[in-house]
Amino acid sequence: MELITGILTTAVLAGGVLALAALGEVLAERVGVFNLGVEGLMALGGVTGIIAVTLYPNPFFGFVMALLVGLGFGALFALATVVFRANQVLCGLALTMLGSGLAVTIGKSYSGMPAKATFEKIIVPYLSDLPIVGRAFFSQNILVYLIYLIIPAVISFMLFRTRHGMNVRAVGENPAAADSAGIPVTLIRFCYVTIGAALGAGAGAYLTLAFVPSWSDGVVAGRGWIAVALVIFAGYRPFGAVFGALLFGVITAIGYVGQARNWPISPTFLSMLPYLGTMLAMILPVFLWRRLRLGFTAPAGLGVPFFRDER
Amino acid sequence: MIDFKNMDRRRFMGLAGMTAASSLILPQFGRPAFGATPLAAVKEEDAVIGFGHVGPISDEGWTWSHHQGLEAVKAAFPKAKYLEVENVPFSADCTRIYRQMVSDGANMIISTSNYGDLIYEVSDRATDVAFMECDGHRKADNLSYYYIQHWFPTYVAGVAAGLLSKTGKLGYVASFPVPAVFCGTNAFLMGARTVNPEATLQTVVINSWFDPQGAKQAGTALIDNGCDFLFGIMDEAAYLQVAQERGVWAAMWNTDIRRYGPDAYVTSIVLDWNQYYVDQVRKRLAGEWTGGEGTLLPMGKGIDRDAWGAKVPADVAAKADAVRDRILNDGFNPFVGEIKDVDGNVRVTAGETMTPEALYTWDWSIEGVSGLKV
Repeated sequence: MELITGILTTAVLAGGVLALAALGEVLAERVGVFNLGVEGLMALGGVTGIIAVTLYPNPFFGFVMALLVGLGFGALFALATVVFRANQVLCGLALTMLGSGLAVTIGKSYSGMPAKATFEKIIVPYLSDLPIVGRAFFSQNILVYLIYLIIPAVISFMLFRTRHGMNVRAVGENPAAADSAGIPVTLIRFCYVTIGAALGAGAGAYLTLAFVPSWSDGVVAGRGWIAVALVIFAGYRPFGAVFGALLFGVITAIGYVGQARNWPISPTFLSMLPYLGTMLAMILPVFLWRRLRLGFTAPAGLGVPFFRDER
Repeated sequence: MIDFKNMDRRRFMGLAGMTAASSLILPQFGRPAFGATPLAAVKEEDAVIGFGHVGPISDEGWTWSHHQGLEAVKAAFPKAKYLEVENVPFSADCTRIYRQMVSDGANMIISTSNYGDLIYEVSDRATDVAFMECDGHRKADNLSYYYIQHWFPTYVAGVAAGLLSKTGKLGYVASFPVPAVFCGTNAFLMGARTVNPEATLQTVVINSWFDPQGAKQAGTALIDNGCDFLFGIMDEAAYLQVAQERGVWAAMWNTDIRRYGPDAYVTSIVLDWNQYYVDQVRKRLAGEWTGGEGTLLPMGKGIDRDAWGAKVPADVAAKADAVRDRILNDGFNPFVGEIKDVDGNVRVTAGETMTPEALYTWDWSIEGVSGLKV
């Protein structure tokens, strides 16, 4: 029992990073833009969070500053891919390089320094005393509740329960049809790509303010790419992304717990698990979702820039 | 290309002559492996000293301590020029960085972590530049290695751990299965077993010297598994913070970082390179520096245990310090057989004392240490 609680506690905490980044990517891909810059955005968000709390020791301040930086770079990315209709893959890769490089340069003097303020645990009364899941799910920091419950619920409701959400999905599925129905395709794409990027940067701040908590070169460690893979695994659904992130958290935690419990498995193999998991997450949806007859396919307009005059 | 099939007598003679001549021009072919000829003296104002670090100097750990050494050298020889590179990667980039230092005119290059062939690639081709590799294993005319006898303070910390741990289960956050880690885990458990013969040590390998999130998860997993004393060899304080949060003890490496976990902090294996670096640079400038040396700095001169943590009971500190005094003053060496490995084979026979070289290259776990066996 203690074993499961331990794994779940770490998994929830570790998975939060992936969940928030993947939620941002869901938004971008739902409107038809492939944002491969998540890795760079997370690095920028992470370093912003640390610098902000060093200047003013309040974790919320750090988190909000990271969101703002994410908005800024997201707007830049959206300007290139949505307004100027540049190649999304190349722009995404460029954003990753720019973000990672810039973060290392800016964060040089903050490297290794522990965060001056971190998100404190909030213990939910009664629920946190539940066996097994109590400590894992109901005594975490406030961002965990936000990431696992509130943000996906809001996105889910918006996408699938409102007229605006229908428009948003239409933009991702068939921008030409959406355009002729009078939906402002460019505006919607621009807004959601930017918001998605902000969430990506927020994931970086979560990493440095709630999880690690400190900044160093390479702290993101490929999580941005895992988040991109998760979105495909999750079938472009917010709660799917959150669930997938939790699953990844469990896989990562098992790597450490396995060693601590001295399982007769090579530690090299155990630390390989998250990456093996990513490969599975890429392969499984191809036949699994199809066989289960779930409509988890990519938005039809994903990756295609929209030119009104080429209709 | 030399055409051996159609070689006539005249060509053969020509080739033989060339070989003979080249051995005259390139005298190192005929030189013995370790000539104790010092490198030529350098004037202080002309000297260029290069430092390459494995991590960032802001890590408050390993790299920070070497950076302090560099600062001490700078204070002693202010007229020399200094090059310092952080985050040297374990890749061809490392060779490029050190080659750049050589072409920038470096007279002495100090690599504060071991990069093996990536350095030798450069040092073999720049024979007038002194190379020093921390935790290295090769010697040459212009290449020395140096390290610290960390097993003694580690053993002292182990005694304290044995006294403080209630469960007898010690946890270790390891970087890689390398001699420094094998020796660290073994010495720590040997110290603990002098006061608690039932003690065991569980390691978690996180494949990095600097990975706060990895260390944090590893520490959490160890505590969840019943460990109430964490030790490790990390360049940052993540598992100390976990120990503080969960109310268990922790011993650290490199520097005094007790403020990240004041209640959990027991001690640290603290480094002090200042004197050693100043000496080496002085020798290089004076023309007294010779390669081919392997120096292991003893306890009290480069490495020691840190002042005990605030919550460590006085009697525990006194008992551990008594062992430290015996090592320092009476030449006490606890690394004496019989020592069995993790499979129960006797590896050091009864009465045999392990040499510093044997401790430095220790590559097997003693009985009671789990998780490192490859």
